[in-house]
Amino acid sequence: MKRLQRLLPFLSLITLFIALVIASPHFLTATNLSSVVRQTAVINIMALGMTVIIISGGIDLSVGSILGLGGLTGAMAMERGVPIVPAVFIGILTGFACGFLNGFLITRLKIAPFIVTLGTLGIYRGTALIISNGLPVHKLPPAFSILGEGGIFGVPYVLLLLIVCAIAVHILLEHTRLGRYAFAIGSSPAAAAYAGIPVAFHTTAVYSIGGLLTGLAGMIEASRLMTGQPTAGQGYELQAIAAVVIGGGSLRGGEGSVVGTLVGAFIMGLLSNGSDLLGISNYVQQVVIGAVIILAVAVDELRKRRVV
Amino acid sequence: MLLALTDIQKRYGGVTALRSANLSVAAGEVHLLLGENGAGKSTLMKIVAGLVEPDGGTMLWNGSPVQLKTPADAARIGVAMVHQESLLAPQLSVAENIFLGREERHPLGWIARRRAVEQAARLIEQHHFPLQAEWRVEKLSPAGKQLVEICRAIQHGSSLLIFDEPTSSLSGAETEEVFRIVRTLRERKMGVIYITHRLEELRAIGDRVTILRDGATVHTGPLQELTTAQIISYMVGRQMAATYSRDAHKPGAPMLEATGLHVKGKLHNVSLTLRAGEITGMAGLMGAGRTELCRALFGVDALESGTIRIAGKPVRITCPRAAVKAGIALVTEDRQVTGLALPLPISVNITLANTEAISTAGFLHLRRQNEIGAEYISRLRIKAQGPKQPAGRLSGGNQQKVVIAKWLFREPRVFLFDEPTRGIDVGAKVEVFDFMHELAGRGAAVLMVSSEIPELLQVADRILVMCQGRIAGELPGRTTAEEIMSLATRSNSQTETVA
Repeated sequence: MKRLQRLLPFLSLITLFIALVIASPHFLTATNLSSVVRQTAVINIMALGMTVIIISGGIDLSVGSILGLGGLTGAMAMERGVPIVPAVFIGILTGFACGFLNGFLITRLKIAPFIVTLGTLGIYRGTALIISNGLPVHKLPPAFSILGEGGIFGVPYVLLLLIVCAIAVHILLEHTRLGRYAFAIGSSPAAAAYAGIPVAFHTTAVYSIGGLLTGLAGMIEASRLMTGQPTAGQGYELQAIAAVVIGGGSLRGGEGSVVGTLVGAFIMGLLSNGSDLLGISNYVQQVVIGAVIILAVAVDELRKRRVV
Repeated sequence: MLLALTDIQKRYGGVTALRSANLSVAAGEVHLLLGENGAGKSTLMKIVAGLVEPDGGTMLWNGSPVQLKTPADAARIGVAMVHQESLLAPQLSVAENIFLGREERHPLGWIARRRAVEQAARLIEQHHFPLQAEWRVEKLSPAGKQLVEICRAIQHGSSLLIFDEPTSSLSGAETEEVFRIVRTLRERKMGVIYITHRLEELRAIGDRVTILRDGATVHTGPLQELTTAQIISYMVGRQMAATYSRDAHKPGAPMLEATGLHVKGKLHNVSLTLRAGEITGMAGLMGAGRTELCRALFGVDALESGTIRIAGKPVRITCPRAAVKAGIALVTEDRQVTGLALPLPISVNITLANTEAISTAGFLHLRRQNEIGAEYISRLRIKAQGPKQPAGRLSGGNQQKVVIAKWLFREPRVFLFDEPTRGIDVGAKVEVFDFMHELAGRGAAVLMVSSEIPELLQVADRILVMCQGRIAGELPGRTTAEEIMSLATRSNSQTETVA
């Protein structure tokens, strides 16, 4: 019974997949599936960072803004003649810096993550709009599109990147002290501190990693759109948090996994793709995503109530 | 019979919590419910309180069958419970908690706040509790919170009251007060179910006993017909010495020297020395500053002044991390909050304070971690399914052993135990004492804070007594309870002139 409940997200994903195969003749085509993967990869990579943050008992509402700012700085660097690879790293570093600042404020000022990242959501978005004067950056080298749109033997590069990131985050969570401490801090911050764990340092590290992955997602998004959009990523925090929660992450901390998050993100991706194929509007999609988050948490709570 | 439970069964997944529990309580009796941790007492009481539904068996209330699906059902028929772990609203005041859910209202619908405060104050005064109606519950110690729960149950006028280890965090004087309250309840013809691990309390309070072992009732009957040794053998299923005999240790060099410790409003000029190979006991009433001293030594609360030396070297302890690095371990009073990461596996908890030992360049050796978990589970006789079981699934005594294992694996030089036997059963208590002796034998300095004077007399080599944030005196290990109490209750006027 318990195992069945743990498999629930996975079963939902399969059910959704089969339902879409039946409902739409355009679903099971190479073009469409590769487009699902590309669409989902951005959210997925962000959600991996969010997984670590949520496991540590935190939350980051500013990821959408970090994605916008990271993609924008990378694009602006390219516009000013910086070669592609260093420019991508500038975007990733911007994300890292934003995440670091989140962690720094949370641990030094001892303010709830919800409040800090709600504030930086505004700060990072505003910064992106200020430095770009609110205008998108278009003059990007054509080769930059390889990151988001290229592939090898029909496998999109973004899928390979996603797999590398997923393996890295999985190893981080399950096989390193940093991951162990994230679980401990999320389970009981007091017990973690009493065990001599440097809680502030590791909390900051967790948000920095989240920022770094979001910066990377920002560069992928910029490459797919071939523009640096100061408004990119608006509302993505909802999807990233949803992916983690659908995949079994607990907003109380101490629970979550990479596999769960991947499944959660693909459920979100299929919902969005399926809606497009079936001609359901974007507006309805938002309602569905919101409802799915609540449903996922409700199922999880029911499971816990029965065990305790 | 007020309440009669017959052949109650309860399973949680694959684990049988209750096989066949029987319990009957009459109005006007204090019924003791005894058993080791994990025997099923808590589950049985949760069933009576409507928190858990049984899988089988019958439950009669005043002779007619009842089904309690929610705590509200239980409250309606007149069952109230004083919980071991506090279930109060921490941000509300004492008075608001006492009346929570049953607020009196003005005719216009708002809450009669002042009247609630007055009534609460009267109730508190009647029973001489060290509480004030306006205090916020979050600022109270565990003992204070329990007193609020007792007030709450009395105020609600229930006909059956369940006390789940009400005195485990109380001082002697407060314990007497709880006994007095329980006797008053009995005189009022109420039924009382009383769970305790303090065997010395039984005679002072109980009428009949029911003893559970492994989820089944193994004995029920009048208390007078049983000796303490018989009770223990029913509980553990084997013969065991009721008291603990100790070997004296030979104290070595000073391991921890604290001089002139000040924490505002909590500690005043406290100096003490803990020596290698010695168990130093610490007695005192609730609020005397014993827990505060542990917190200060462990870097939880900042010192205003004072110095700490470890093995002769001055150390600056500004946070628990610094304390751990300096070689200090603290087994806290509230293991569920500060001692364990409850959802995480036992092996993770055991290695949490010493991940350096199971990792290379930041990468963990998971196999080594599980080996260590298994090793400590067998070494400390932790009752668990395996090293991967979440620590939160264990009983209180086994959880405490996991906390101790965590520090044993770190091998600190100074061990601070704050109420190490709180809420754990007889068998586990003896084992905890064994670990403390083992530690001292291996050259660690051990401080044992306890409200249970008989335990201090059995275990400690010497006993420090605290009173109102100061060290009131030092006594040899073979002192008497009377001498300890006279130091612990030194009158206010004396200490004030000292200040």
